[in-house]
Amino acid sequence: MIPIEYWLVLSSLLFVIGAYGVLTRRNAIVVLMCIEIMLNAANLNLVMFSSYHSTLHLLPDASGQVFALFSVAIAAAEVAVGLAIILSVYRRYKTIEVDKINILRW
Amino acid sequence: MLEYAWLIPVFPFAAFILISLLPRRTLWWEDGAVYAIGGAIGAMALSFLVIWDVLMGNTLTAGAPRFEWLVVGDFSLTFGIWIDQLTAIMLLVVSVVGTLVVIYSGGYMHGEGETRRRYYAEIALFISVMYGLVIADNYLLMFIFWELVGLCSYLLIGFWYERPSAAIAAKRAFIVTRVGDIMFMAGIIILFKYVGSLDFAELFSERASQAVPADMMVLATALIFGGAIGKSAQFPLHEWLPDAMEGPTTVSALIHAATMVKAGVYLTARSYPLLVQAPESLLFVAVIGGVTALIAATAALAQNDIKRVLAYSTISQLGYMILGLGAGGYLVIHGGSGAGYSAATFHLMNHAFFKALLFLCAGSVIHSVGTNDMRQMGGLGKAMKITSLTMLIGSLAIAGMPPLSGFWSKDEVLAAVWHAGEFDRVFLLLWLMGVATAFLTAFYMFRMWFMTFAGEPRSDYHAHESPKTMTVPLMILAGLAVVSGFALFIGEGFKDFMDGSITGLLHGGHHESLADVAAEIFSDPLTYVSLSLAVLGILLARKIYYVPGFDRSIFSRGFNGKLQRALENRWYISKFYDDFAVRVVYALSVVADVFDRYVIDGIVNGFAYLGGNTGNVFRKAQTGDVRSYTALIVVGICLLLILMLYVIPWGGR
Repeated sequence: MIPIEYWLVLSSLLFVIGAYGVLTRRNAIVVLMCIEIMLNAANLNLVMFSSYHSTLHLLPDASGQVFALFSVAIAAAEVAVGLAIILSVYRRYKTIEVDKINILRW
Repeated sequence: MLEYAWLIPVFPFAAFILISLLPRRTLWWEDGAVYAIGGAIGAMALSFLVIWDVLMGNTLTAGAPRFEWLVVGDFSLTFGIWIDQLTAIMLLVVSVVGTLVVIYSGGYMHGEGETRRRYYAEIALFISVMYGLVIADNYLLMFIFWELVGLCSYLLIGFWYERPSAAIAAKRAFIVTRVGDIMFMAGIIILFKYVGSLDFAELFSERASQAVPADMMVLATALIFGGAIGKSAQFPLHEWLPDAMEGPTTVSALIHAATMVKAGVYLTARSYPLLVQAPESLLFVAVIGGVTALIAATAALAQNDIKRVLAYSTISQLGYMILGLGAGGYLVIHGGSGAGYSAATFHLMNHAFFKALLFLCAGSVIHSVGTNDMRQMGGLGKAMKITSLTMLIGSLAIAGMPPLSGFWSKDEVLAAVWHAGEFDRVFLLLWLMGVATAFLTAFYMFRMWFMTFAGEPRSDYHAHESPKTMTVPLMILAGLAVVSGFALFIGEGFKDFMDGSITGLLHGGHHESLADVAAEIFSDPLTYVSLSLAVLGILLARKIYYVPGFDRSIFSRGFNGKLQRALENRWYISKFYDDFAVRVVYALSVVADVFDRYVIDGIVNGFAYLGGNTGNVFRKAQTGDVRSYTALIVVGICLLLILMLYVIPWGGR
């Protein structure tokens, strides 16, 4: 069995890569992709802890994995909404640079 | 039967709704009079059933059914009805006088055209709320109706609102009584603070009297009586009542005999279980009553407006009732006798009948002559036989001539005050004032009668007797003014009957047989003192105002002239209010206005500016730049992580 630290390092890396992308990239689609990476880091944690939990306690408990499935489904919906927003923003402003879309302010 | 008493006010109220809302062509005779009369008669019929039940010895007080009106946490406010002997007397007065006045209005208001609809609606509401006030079992409910009574009197006194004097009089009545209302409210708030309830059942119980400290009880009862001072036009708040003569005469009759001003006396009588715990308040009550009786009687001497004479006589007679209640409280405390209480309520009932009679007679005269000024009347006796005769009966009754009603009750009141003199010397002085008032009352009433009906006409008019709708109520009321005094001897006697409503306060109920009551009245030399003074007053009035040859110019010279002018100006009390008190209040309100505008508003506006300016500073944080938001979120999460992983486990060690 792969030690738990490996998994944690992997998911941390994924999360940080995603966060870095969100912070540095200007293209809204790339930002959205980075958010997906961060989300999957969290999903990975869910699945991993669930698996370890059932192995250690010898319980057939898959609730964490079910949660991960839910999360994936919701992420799909979220992407659909997010892309739709990006599309309509593009139609309105002819750009998807997140720095240029700043009318929601004082 | 008694538990249906709450339906009594519903009848006139329904009339009020119908008259207000129905289309004009369905109002029938006299623009709605039919509905008002119907409502009044329905309420009267039900009142009589209730009164009959009370006469049979049933009352409905602490155990009456209630409904919840307001629930706040553990506290619930319940309203119900309270029917005892005092209520029965008030129901009798309101129902009989109210019904007769409404019927009489059918004739009196004939020339008013479409405004009669407003008149009948308001008068139905007036009667309805007065019934409500009388049957309320709770100071709060009573206060609500109390205010509604004030509202209705405002509306009706200002019925001819296009006349400036009427509009002013209406405002004056409303504002002056409001002074009393505020005192009333303060009084019940004090009671509520200590007892936690405003139900009579609770307040009149042993527990409540222990819960309220003695000095607070004095304050609370004096303040509640302050409400009565305003409503019952007692000195020094009495000046609104003569001004209220600006309304239609029928309204004056209703206000004076049955509703408005009787509410104050009723309140004082109703608060008796509290008042007898505060002798200082009782003394205050009695002194106010005595002073009012005398001052108003003197002011009545020099009035030339027939209605103003009656108005002052009402104030004076109300003073009698209040004086009787104050003295009666002393008798309850020291002697355990309800003589003063029953005397005052007896006078209340009798006064209602003869005063309604007098006002409706005056209305009949005004209807016929078209003026209020007695100097322009005279000789009406020939043209208006019924009116002059019924008014004579009313005048004799109020002057206290046996065997008319006023004699019995006035004598009972004066006797109660005399007996209270055994416990406090002040009452002897008050008794003297009462006897002086009896003399003055006889004098000014017959001055009025002689000036109006006797002698020769002093101006050009064509007097005629009023229509049947007006004379029939007059005759009924005249009959009542004659016989209502004999209530003293009916059944168990009026005294025993009234003792029933304060039975918890009387210890050692000594029962007087009716023969004793009569013997006491006629063997007491004091009876003959007041009676002979009253006769003297009538004879003096006859000499000055009827027998020719008396030189009345002595009233305008020297000291007499000064006195005459002081009386004509009602002791300058009204002038004092206008010239001094109003200015003081105005100055106070200017100060309050400045305070409100600059201090209160300043604080409020200051807070608004503070909030706005702070917001202006902080709103710059909203840059609209998504990436800086994200950066802040990440930094925040990092800080939280550091906090949770290092700072909290480290625990400050």
